[in-house]
Amino acid sequence: MEKKELLKNEQVARVLSPHPLSFMKLQVLCILVIVWGIVVWWLVEFSPYKRMFSGSIWYPFILWGLVLLLVGVIAWLVAIQFSIFLLYLGVFLGALGLVFWQHWEHAVALFLLVYSVAVAIVGFLIIELYRRSHKYIITNLRIIFKGGVLTKQERTIRYDKVADIHAKQGVLGQIFGFGTIIPVSQSGLGLGSDSTMAGGGVVLGSGKARLFGFAGGGKEIQTPIAKSYYELHGVYPYKEIQQLVEGLVQSHVPTQYQQEQIEFQKQQVDIQKQMRDLLHQQVRGAPREKASKKYVEEAEEEPEEETQEIPEEKHAVRTVAKKPSEDEAFPSDQIDIQQQMKDLLKKQRTARVTESEDEEADEEEEKEEEKEEGKEVA
Amino acid sequence: MAGIPLDVDVLIGAALGPVLAMIALWFLQLGFIEVQKWILMTLRHTHEAFCRFSNFIGILFQSMCHALGYTVTRSGIATFHVTVDVGTVEPKKEKTGVFEWVATSFLLFGPFFIPAGLVLLFSFFVIGNGFAYPAVPSSFVQSLIFFGNSIGIFTLRFASFLIHMDLFNPLHVLFLVVLLFFGLGIRPSYIGDERKAKIDMIHDLKSILGHLRQKPLYLLVIILVMYGFYFLSLLLGQGWYMGLFTILGWLSVTAIMALLLTYLLLLLVKSTDHIRGWWKAGAYLSIPVSYVAGRILFVYRPVPQPESMALLFMVVMTSLVTILLIKYKRTNRFKTASKMKHMRAEDGKKRASKK
Repeated sequence: MEKKELLKNEQVARVLSPHPLSFMKLQVLCILVIVWGIVVWWLVEFSPYKRMFSGSIWYPFILWGLVLLLVGVIAWLVAIQFSIFLLYLGVFLGALGLVFWQHWEHAVALFLLVYSVAVAIVGFLIIELYRRSHKYIITNLRIIFKGGVLTKQERTIRYDKVADIHAKQGVLGQIFGFGTIIPVSQSGLGLGSDSTMAGGGVVLGSGKARLFGFAGGGKEIQTPIAKSYYELHGVYPYKEIQQLVEGLVQSHVPTQYQQEQIEFQKQQVDIQKQMRDLLHQQVRGAPREKASKKYVEEAEEEPEEETQEIPEEKHAVRTVAKKPSEDEAFPSDQIDIQQQMKDLLKKQRTARVTESEDEEADEEEEKEEEKEEGKEVA
Repeated sequence: MAGIPLDVDVLIGAALGPVLAMIALWFLQLGFIEVQKWILMTLRHTHEAFCRFSNFIGILFQSMCHALGYTVTRSGIATFHVTVDVGTVEPKKEKTGVFEWVATSFLLFGPFFIPAGLVLLFSFFVIGNGFAYPAVPSSFVQSLIFFGNSIGIFTLRFASFLIHMDLFNPLHVLFLVVLLFFGLGIRPSYIGDERKAKIDMIHDLKSILGHLRQKPLYLLVIILVMYGFYFLSLLLGQGWYMGLFTILGWLSVTAIMALLLTYLLLLLVKSTDHIRGWWKAGAYLSIPVSYVAGRILFVYRPVPQPESMALLFMVVMTSLVTILLIKYKRTNRFKTASKMKHMRAEDGKKRASKK
């Protein structure tokens, strides 16, 4: 992975790709083609049953094709993958086309053997190419899944968005130490559904007017399924990788204490924001100093009535004028602001007190537990 | 029955003969199993995957035997879980008394006989049903002779099939694969990272002895049933009693044959450890290549039994290629008794490899 693809403070922990045997389901399809080709060749050329195939030169081909397609249908139904059947159908049609094109009808058994081996080898190469197209990068912040032979695909999942981890290890995986890890995201990527259908029909009557009935049912189960490009498919060593991923996910999940701390800090930030807003409001409206000066100026402009009557108390008048009552000195909205600020300060203090009380209570509980344990030991 | 004199030898000795012979064969089987376990133990660090595979087969058969025990005693199976390291079988109903005893007997004796039984069943389709069943014995010595004859004929037929095996026949190849597969699993013990007393033959025997001693009354009942069956066979002049123990003997012989074949495989695996890198593939490739070459050679230069000769050619050529590779392409890697990463883990300095 190039450095420019990494985020700030991101470090690569592991770069992985699937184990060579992790695509055994696909490899088995190729092995089956080889084995069946050999068996048909043996049946036609060497077995005690070879007389059965002497009737027509097409008998070996029909047997080979029928079994191949039957296996394809069974595999399609079991694995719920239509592509398996299509693949086998393609192999069958390819053989048929080659026989007609090159007129190899008289050596069908040998042709089938060679063709089966050749097709299987090509299949193995394609599977290997497909396997090598996978790349999984585990960093300290996320998992990056890259893949695609022709079309490049990429999936990134951050650890804090991982809702669930599904891990599976088959028998082969247990023997060779590889396994699959599916990180299911909060959006549900990594989840699929297995659906089964059952149906049956019956025709009653043999005349023109037939009665036809059909009954069926289906079931769908949500299971963790993902394409090999969207999961850590067949990674080795499985246990180490599983622990690494789970550890990284766990480190990105806040604990209860951390959550409480975050809540508390959020509360504090909110209070401070409100206080800041109130201060701004206060400054914009009528600041305290300006308000006092205003009152002084007003008092200097209109001193006549009071000074004339009591000249000795001029100083006192000035003092009275300098210290007006709150109702007179500030407008009502300013008083509201001050009141709100007081409330906020009180709230802030209460939150801190509550926190410290909780801590004290916890400490007391711990002490009590220790005492009880001490008693039990005694 | 009419021609057999009713003396102590007939009444007791003849019945004991096949039992003792069968136990002797079973002990021989135990010995072969012990050797296989020892070889696997030596391979553990270099071929972990191979040992895990053989463990899985062993645990699978053991769990199947245990499950069979619960099924036979109608306890039902609540949990059936088999992994490479451990197998778990739990009954639906916790039954006590004779049912529990029977289920445990399946667990203890099953792994020695049930996998071999499956191979024997398959061998009837491949080798054929031409084995000799013993006649009714009239004395202890005669029962031993009859038993020995029957086992001998079976062993000869089995070995003869293996020697004349045609590896161009898919059925024969399948039988060989099955034999090797079961051969690796005919053992009730797990081969772990460390040698444990728990996997010794002595431990198995102690468990069996403890199990039998636990309920002496059941043992007595089994002996009585056995004698009842013997007298019934004697009365009707049928070789049923002898046949039963002979089949058990065949099972032991089948297991021993499978174990002997796995020795060859394990020997090859062990030998290739001394060969450098990819050169070791040469030793494995020489098996099919030399066989095919042998078969082609004996088409142009006809010999009396081309299949057997091709097998012999294959064994000789594979051995020769392996010896030559060991001599000229010997590994120069520094080998330790245990892997370096294991040692680092013990030291607490294990470092994860980063790509």
